Amino acid sequence: MNAFLLQYLPIVIFLGIALVIGVAFLVAAAVIAPKAPDPEKLSAYECGFNAFDDARMKFDVRFYLVSILFIVFDLEVALLFPWAVTLTKLPHGDQVVAFATGVLFLADVTLGYIYVWKRGALEWE
Amino acid sequence: MSLQAVAFYLMALVSVVSALLVVSAKNPVHSVLYLITVFFSAAGLFVLMGAEFLAMLLVVVYVGAVAVLFLFVVMMLDVDFVALRQGFARYLPIGGAIGVILLVEMVLVATAVAEHGAAAKYAAPLAAGEISNTEAIGRVLYTDYLYLFEAAGLVLLVAMIGALVLTLRHRPGVKRQNIAAQVGRTPAKGMEIVQIKDGAGIPE
Amino acid sequence: MITLPMYLTVAAALFTIGVLGIFVNRKNIIVILMSIELILLAVNINLVAFSVYLHDVVGQIFALFVLTVAAAEAAVGLAILVTFFRNRGDIAVDDANLMKG
Repeated sequence: MNAFLLQYLPIVIFLGIALVIGVAFLVAAAVIAPKAPDPEKLSAYECGFNAFDDARMKFDVRFYLVSILFIVFDLEVALLFPWAVTLTKLPHGDQVVAFATGVLFLADVTLGYIYVWKRGALEWE
Repeated sequence: MSLQAVAFYLMALVSVVSALLVVSAKNPVHSVLYLITVFFSAAGLFVLMGAEFLAMLLVVVYVGAVAVLFLFVVMMLDVDFVALRQGFARYLPIGGAIGVILLVEMVLVATAVAEHGAAAKYAAPLAAGEISNTEAIGRVLYTDYLYLFEAAGLVLLVAMIGALVLTLRHRPGVKRQNIAAQVGRTPAKGMEIVQIKDGAGIPE
Repeated sequence: MITLPMYLTVAAALFTIGVLGIFVNRKNIIVILMSIELILLAVNINLVAFSVYLHDVVGQIFALFVLTVAAAEAAVGLAILVTFFRNRGDIAVDDANLMKG
């Protein structure tokens, strides 16, 4: 067992505890809770009417647009993480190049951001 | 069996079984949820290999964003998904046959490469050195591979613009708030004082 | 001891399942896109495994770019799907060979 993987031990312990507690609640509910199922009790309740249609509603396309922009900026930030970590540790010549690269990358994405803003995709009508 | 091996087998099993459920689940929402499980266990495999940065990226980008995008699309389109499953049983034999052949071939090649190829020299994976995985990536990414890095930026730009052009429709007749005009409005522009003679009314 | 062929086998299995998913879900383009994500994930596992066992970080850099392109591909693919659904009211890809909007 190397020292590197031991750093992840707390996460494994956390997952184990979460799993145990989650399963314990499910099992406890299945064992302890009183059960008397009835078709009327199990059916969907909508102010005394029978349910009109499916509970799954259509989402607006704007949710999709927001989430797509989120992916792009998420990836942008992810690609800049190593930049933040290494920039100060590089030798000077490389540092200048790396800095310029990162700034150009940011300029790319800022261009896209301006376009998105001008098209009005960030507004919620 | 060491703890590492147990973790490996657990995550490999979870990822393969969940991947099978992704392609065979009846409800696409369930498919997306199984896809998240696959990505999580693949991230675990990456951690086991020591590729921390990519593991975290997988969780942040795939579980956090791509899976949510899939979920939105599945819920946005109300499609009769039962009808779309027609032909599942018809294509299963040939798909399964091709899959088995492909799997056997790839495992044979992989084993041969791993045992006799360039990787055979190194028995053990790289132990974590004095620099972290993220730093090791950064040292190469922004110096030797800067053109690829810029290309990735352009890919993101094109994806953003493309998705916007494809999906953004402005509904006609929707009133929008123009904040600049609202803030820039002064009493001088907004109101007019008119002197009116008695009995003359207001001229239009 | 976890060896390189073990990781490669997992990647091969995921790749195969992705191909199988494209075969059996020929009508459901959402599941096809998910299968493509699985295939790209298998590629990434291969790249990272070789990178780690060859002691060369470049494989991980390439996996990073594959990840970026895969996410962009999913975004644009789903955008095309949304537009297709808007035009036709259906996502049956069998009809997508008509080439008329």
